[in-house]
Order: sequence, then structure tokens, then C-alpha cells
Amino acid sequence: MNSNRFTNGALGVLAWGVALLIFFPILWLLLTSFKTEQQAFTVVPNFFFSPTLESFKMALAQGSGYWHYAWNSALIAVASTVIGLALAVPAAYAMAFYPNKRTDFLLVWMVSTKFIPAVGVLIPIYLVYSAVGLLDNALGLTLLFTAMNLPIIVWMVYSYFRDIPKDIVEAADIDGASIMQTLFKVVLPLALPGLASTGLLALILAWNESFWSITMTDHRAATLAVYIASFKSAEGLFWAKMSAASVLAIAPIIVLGWFTQRQMVRGLTFGAVK
Amino acid sequence: MSNASPERDGGARERLQRWLPKLVLSPSCVLVLFFVYGFIAWTSYISFSDSGMMPDYTWVGLHQWSRLWTSWTWGIALHNIWVFGLLYIVSCIVLGLILAILLDQRIRAEGVLRTIYLYPMALSFIVTGTAWQWFLNPGLGLEKTMHDLGWQSFSFNWLIDSNMAIYTVVIAAVWQATGFVMAMFLAGLRGIDGEMIKAAQIDGAPAWKIYARIIIPQLRPVFLSAVVVLAHLAIKSFDLIVAMTGGGPGNATAVPATFMYSYAFSRNEMGIAAASAVFMLAVIAALIIPYLYSELREPRS
Repeated sequence: MNSNRFTNGALGVLAWGVALLIFFPILWLLLTSFKTEQQAFTVVPNFFFSPTLESFKMALAQGSGYWHYAWNSALIAVASTVIGLALAVPAAYAMAFYPNKRTDFLLVWMVSTKFIPAVGVLIPIYLVYSAVGLLDNALGLTLLFTAMNLPIIVWMVYSYFRDIPKDIVEAADIDGASIMQTLFKVVLPLALPGLASTGLLALILAWNESFWSITMTDHRAATLAVYIASFKSAEGLFWAKMSAASVLAIAPIIVLGWFTQRQMVRGLTFGAVK
Repeated sequence: MSNASPERDGGARERLQRWLPKLVLSPSCVLVLFFVYGFIAWTSYISFSDSGMMPDYTWVGLHQWSRLWTSWTWGIALHNIWVFGLLYIVSCIVLGLILAILLDQRIRAEGVLRTIYLYPMALSFIVTGTAWQWFLNPGLGLEKTMHDLGWQSFSFNWLIDSNMAIYTVVIAAVWQATGFVMAMFLAGLRGIDGEMIKAAQIDGAPAWKIYARIIIPQLRPVFLSAVVVLAHLAIKSFDLIVAMTGGGPGNATAVPATFMYSYAFSRNEMGIAAASAVFMLAVIAALIIPYLYSELREPRS
């Protein structure tokens, strides 16, 4: 709004200052992870130290358990995303191309379940899971993550499908293409970028999830969130190593987040922000 | 119904066209219906039952509810969620709006800045909460750093001070959600019609006046969305508290979600835990249903 060069420069400096402030806790974690335990704890803190990968080696060493938790996190995140997309695509397809007067209501109703706090269903799920042996089980957690992310996946896929001109689908229909052909040959290729970002968002949400991981798993199916949450009990002892493990746990998201920030906002605000 | 269904096929194909949408929608709907409403009903039932460590479906009326409301810890949890929620919502909205206005000034590399502002929201709350916990821990982080740098009298021990610990959670939570609220406001700002602003500029109105009189009033829907989203995030907040204080020191930072968790799993009071969960559900429903209702009535853009 203001084209004054000086004001603009000052505002730029301010904006970068805020960015540094916001990034500081993450930066601090990063810096600690590149120190040795002694450096992290005893040396007068400064930003000029010789970085070492020692803590990362420690964090990834056999017996640290990192790979066990990381594998669980990755497996459960990917599986829940794939299942979620497989369930959501037909549902979104039906709502986008064969809407009826209840579609809007259905959609809002589905999205509204995202607002429900997990504690509201925690006890019954725990009881069911312990009865059928799904506690501390990767499949059990996968199902929960799928159910948790499904409304948001359906909603996002739906919004991408709606951007596809209806004429194209109608033309395919008239040409005698079956619904399956229309879906796989016409609609999905067009919606591929949207599906990819929906999948990424679902992956991020599943990777970050902690409530169900903490309540439903112990060790066997525990994810990185459980591993990191256990750190505070051992505070100060292996600080650099724990920082390194934390950095490793958020590194995929730091990279993915760079590419998906728009989808992130869109998904989390249920489309209030596009 | 689709008006594209070709006439010539008729019969089976048309019937398929009609039923397929319902058929493919049903798994998602049933899943949501079962996981959500069935289990909410179940939780409600438990809150009227004699369940302790194990579920016991003997009906005891409002017994668990009266135990909940006379519980000292529940009182603390409710007080904390008020303090936390209010400070969290107000700070996020004020800071988010300021940041959005700042980024709206055609600052260079805006995309990069926006991503950085959004990072806290994208990262696992457990990890960032743990990082904050280290940073605010007097023996490890900020305070120790200041002491090592020679500022011996520096003191910041809110994290372990029962009167102040909840504010450290507020700080971390605000840090986490501000960029997200900023993104909502930024999108709102970008959607405002420029004509009125130009007219006001020609009239020589100062920038702050344009914001106060023209721009901010037009952001009303964004304010509403932000309040609803933040309020429900506040009520759901669990991971940040688990990572930072674990509800401590003592019960000083207990909130309804951690209260529910500890009564269900460590105190073996399933009935009370269920009652607290139903209470949280009711508060969120009172917040969300009118909002969604009003959203639904407006024509979608």
C-alpha cells in the first residue's frame, strides 16, 4: 500500500525479524542436535561451534530404538493415507458428479466430525481395541488414523473434483464410457495434482498424530510421537541425542511442509482459506 | 441426479447410475457414523454407569457427574482452559492479524516468509512442545544460557512455577497457531475489493484509518472462523501440555483433555473420565453447530 522505499525496507526487516523469532525454537533444536553432549550442556552457548554428526549417530545407533519407531510412523502414515484415499475417491466422486439435495449436508456433517475431540470416543475405542486385540497394534492405529483423516480427505478430494468441468465427465458418459473408465481415464488424471497434495496433507497429519499413538500403543506399534514424548523423563542426560532424534522426526515435515503449506491451510480451515 | 445419464441404455445402466453414488458413499459414511456417533453414545452411557477401572454398566444416574463437579482437579482444569483459551484466542488473532497486514505490504519473498510463519503449525506438537520444554526449563535453556553468558540474576522459571506454568503453555500454543491464523487473515485481506480502498486513498485517508474503518470490518467472517477453529483447538489441546508440563507441576496445568486422560488411564475412574469427555463434547457442539449451520446457509463461493 505504501510505496515509500524506506518504510518498505523497514517492514521487510521487521517481517524477517519475526520469521527469525518464530523459527528460533526450531533453530535451537537444530543447533543442539549438531553438538556433542558436552557442548550442548557445558560450553557457554554460542552459535559458532564446530558442528558434529555425533549426536545423530547416537540417535540412529542400534539399540536407540529410533528405527523401530520411525518405521512404525512411516508404515502407519502411508497405510492410513492409501486406505483413506481409496475410500475417499469414490465418495468424493459420487458427491461431486452425482450430487443430490443432501450432498451439501452430508459434506458439512462429515467435516464437522473433525471438530469432535478425540477424548469423546477414547474410552469406547480403547474398550473395543482391548477386546479384539488391536491395542499396541499397527493395524489398529492405521484404522484410527484412517477414520481420523477420512473426513478431511473426502472434503479435499471433493473440492478438487468440483474444479473439473462437468462437461468433460458428461462427454465421457455420452461416449459410452463406464463409470470406472470415466473415473480412471478422465477424472483422476485431471485431479492428480490435487490428489497428490491431499495425500501429502494426510501423510503429514498422520505423521504428526500423537493423541492416539500415546493412548493406544505402548511399544510394539508405538510411533515417533510416543518416542519423543518419553524424552522429558530423561531430561538433560542425553540432550543432544534427543535433539537429534527430534530433528530427525520433524525433518520430513520441514521438507514436505515447504511444498504443501497452501494445502495445509486449506485443509485445516476446511476451505475457509483457499 | 445427473442429467447426463444416457437415455438409450436405460434399464440396468441407469439403475447402476442411480445406486452407485449411494453405494460408494456408504463405506465412508458408515465408518464416520460408527466411529463417531456410536462411540459418543457409548461414552455418554458410561458417564451414567458405575464404571471404574473396568466398564460396569450398572446405571447410577448422575453419580459420576456429581463426582466430576465436586472434583478439585476438574475445577483447576476448567479454570485453566478458560485462562488458556482466552489468552490463546485473543493473542493468536491479534498477532495473526498484525502479521497478515505486515505481509500484505508487498514484502519481498513473501512466500518464503509465509512458509516460515506456518512451520510451527505443520510440525508435530509433541516435538515442538518438547523443544519448548527444554528451552524454558531453567536448568537447560534460556535461563541457563543467560547465566552462562554472565547475567546471573536472570530468572525465568515459569515452567516449574505452579502459578505461571499455564502461561508457558500459552506462549508455545500461540507460537504454534499464530502463523496459521495469519494465513487465514492474509487470504481474507487478498479477497477484499480494492475499489473502496483506492477511493479512500484518493481522499487522502491515512493507512491506519483505512485499515480500521474499511479493511478490518470486512474481515468479520475470518474473525468468526478463526475464533471457532482456535476455540476447538484449545479445548482439544492435549499434546502440547503432555509434551511441556505433563499437566504439572502437580495439577497446575491440568486441562480437561489431560484430566480425562489421567482419570481414564491412571486413576481408573472411567465413569468420571467419560462424564468429563461428554462435557467437552457438549461445549464444542454448542460452539460448532451454530457456526456450521450459518456457514451452510450462506451460498458457497
